[in-house]
Amino acid sequence: MNSRMATLAGLMVAIFLTWGSASIAAEEIRLGAFFDLSGPASNIGTPTKLVAEMAVAEINKAGGVAGRPLKLVIGDTEGNPAKAATLAKKFIYQDKVAAIIGPTRTGTGMTVKPIVEKAGIPTFMTVGGDPIIMGGKYGSFEYVFKSPQRSETAVKRLFTYLRDKKLERVALLYAADSFGKDGAEWMEKLAPEFGITFAARESFGPQDTDMTPQLTRLRNDAPQAVICWTIGPAGAIVAKNRHQLGIELPLFQCHGLPDPKYIELAGAASEGDRMPSTKLLVAAQLPDSDPQKKTILNFIHLYDEVYDFDRQFPINTHSGYAWDAVTIVAEAIRKAGTEPKALRQAIENTKDFVGVSGIYNLTPEDHNGLDIDSMVMVEVRDGGFVLAR
Amino acid sequence: MNMPTLTDSLQFLFAGLTNGAIYALIALGFCVVHNTMGIVNFTQVDLVSLGGMFLYSALFLFGLPMPLALAGAVTAAAVTGMAVERVGIRPSRSDNHLVLIFLTIGLSVILRGIMKLAWGKNRMAVPPLTADEPIRLFGATILPQILWIFLLTAGAVLLLIWIFRRTTLGLCMRAVASNADAAAVVGIDGGRIRMISFAIAGGMGGLAGALVTPITTLSYDVGVLLGLKGFAAAILGGFGSFVGAVAGGVLLGVLESLAAAGLSSAYKDVIAFGLLLLVLFIRPAGLFGSAKR
Repeated sequence: MNSRMATLAGLMVAIFLTWGSASIAAEEIRLGAFFDLSGPASNIGTPTKLVAEMAVAEINKAGGVAGRPLKLVIGDTEGNPAKAATLAKKFIYQDKVAAIIGPTRTGTGMTVKPIVEKAGIPTFMTVGGDPIIMGGKYGSFEYVFKSPQRSETAVKRLFTYLRDKKLERVALLYAADSFGKDGAEWMEKLAPEFGITFAARESFGPQDTDMTPQLTRLRNDAPQAVICWTIGPAGAIVAKNRHQLGIELPLFQCHGLPDPKYIELAGAASEGDRMPSTKLLVAAQLPDSDPQKKTILNFIHLYDEVYDFDRQFPINTHSGYAWDAVTIVAEAIRKAGTEPKALRQAIENTKDFVGVSGIYNLTPEDHNGLDIDSMVMVEVRDGGFVLAR
Repeated sequence: MNMPTLTDSLQFLFAGLTNGAIYALIALGFCVVHNTMGIVNFTQVDLVSLGGMFLYSALFLFGLPMPLALAGAVTAAAVTGMAVERVGIRPSRSDNHLVLIFLTIGLSVILRGIMKLAWGKNRMAVPPLTADEPIRLFGATILPQILWIFLLTAGAVLLLIWIFRRTTLGLCMRAVASNADAAAVVGIDGGRIRMISFAIAGGMGGLAGALVTPITTLSYDVGVLLGLKGFAAAILGGFGSFVGAVAGGVLLGVLESLAAAGLSSAYKDVIAFGLLLLVLFIRPAGLFGSAKR
């Protein structure tokens, strides 16, 4: 019995020794990174992970952060909030990460939010929804940031364009899920400011396969344009249904759809559709004076040619969000180290950071830091995206 | 609310028929296996996705022309159906319905995993059988693909009814369904019959997938989303009845469309499924189902 105990103890000591020496030798800075690598949003989560890994590899190639390499600890949220919560706790209490990147969707993000707030670990999310970085009934957001534009910013960009084009009486068609409703709420709220009125409002299920009834009803209210607010294939189906019904009204999609996939799914029916987007899709057309142009072209070069991700996941409007999240966090670690409070403050003080998705100016009140100048209106022409006239 | 015009009403009806035909095709596949084994075969939803996947690969990987690609997709899905029975179901040597149903659920998850690996997680676009230009009828428009769906669904139903009522194979299938032991005594190979029924179900699912994915777009889980409605349609029609499956599908589709058009687009599913429940309260066996179970 005694000798067995001794063996066991010896074994444990040996494990602890190797464990300890390994982490001392590497001196790496760990970042937790979790996305929807499986589940319904895996087509968004998987390329996000690839880009996060690319950003880390590039940073390490350039010597790491203050001489220490970054290391991503990857997790798969499976689109499941409970799984995401478990992973977040694992990152914080077991892996002892300095910061967390992800998750992918607003729902999982909201589950993770109170956990990282309580533990005080800076978390840079790549989710679309605004409640992540809104206070009040949505809880505190001291440690939570997000790199994609707010829905509010995209709505403002779209409305500015509509006002310029004198398209002021519009019909609204949105998905009856949290993303669609969030967009619809912002549109209703911001419409008076831009002098825009709604001729009609219709909704559909995000998994519906035919929206002709809604479009037929919209047409009868004689709007000047149709705004559709949804992500996923439903947007392409709306474009095809509009073509089927012969509705000549201009169609505007939301900032979630600028993606070569949209054109592929909707085919010729997508021709002429316009939507707010990051500059990533029209980088080549940007004037040389655009301060983001160099950063974006470099990103596209890495993505397409060096890492060769484009064959499986062609670049879309979202591709840069993980890059921006990782590089902003790395920059903040360089300035303030890994002590959570100092790191959070450094992220919050990020100013004029030229990212792929925009120029970030964060403040304690604004944990996103992008304004409408980070977006452009793009249009589908000859099967590709161009800057809208 | 303003009254819809006649043209608009016709458009709503067409929209309902579009969805209805899709649900009907999926419901038919559920019925075939139910009619020989008495179980709900949940791999049906993945055979639908597979039909679309095979068509996609036949067109773009092998560059086949459309008619050949369609035939290939249906055949490949039928073979997959057979493999599911032979490799997945038969080795269990069970005739406990609950065990078999759970087996199909597990197999369904496996099939979806394989599809995700083989074809990836992205949405794909499948071209329609013929040109995509809408046809005008009395001011309303309908896609040619929908007419193809109507035509081929009708053909499939007639073929199924003919097989089940007029051929020896159909007789054997019904015999195995009503009493597998007695069928074995008179020399019917139950395993072979079940495998054939899975092949037919696979073919139906594959046809459904190949026909509907040009409208819905294609991904590895597209069948799951449509399958739920197809399942509801099959129940509405009286599970197992071919005519009932078609009627149930079309009725569900039209109800949805009219609810979206006339009352509220946000609550159309609530309205459609509420009515479905109502029908089942009055006729628990479904529209065309036999009362004895």
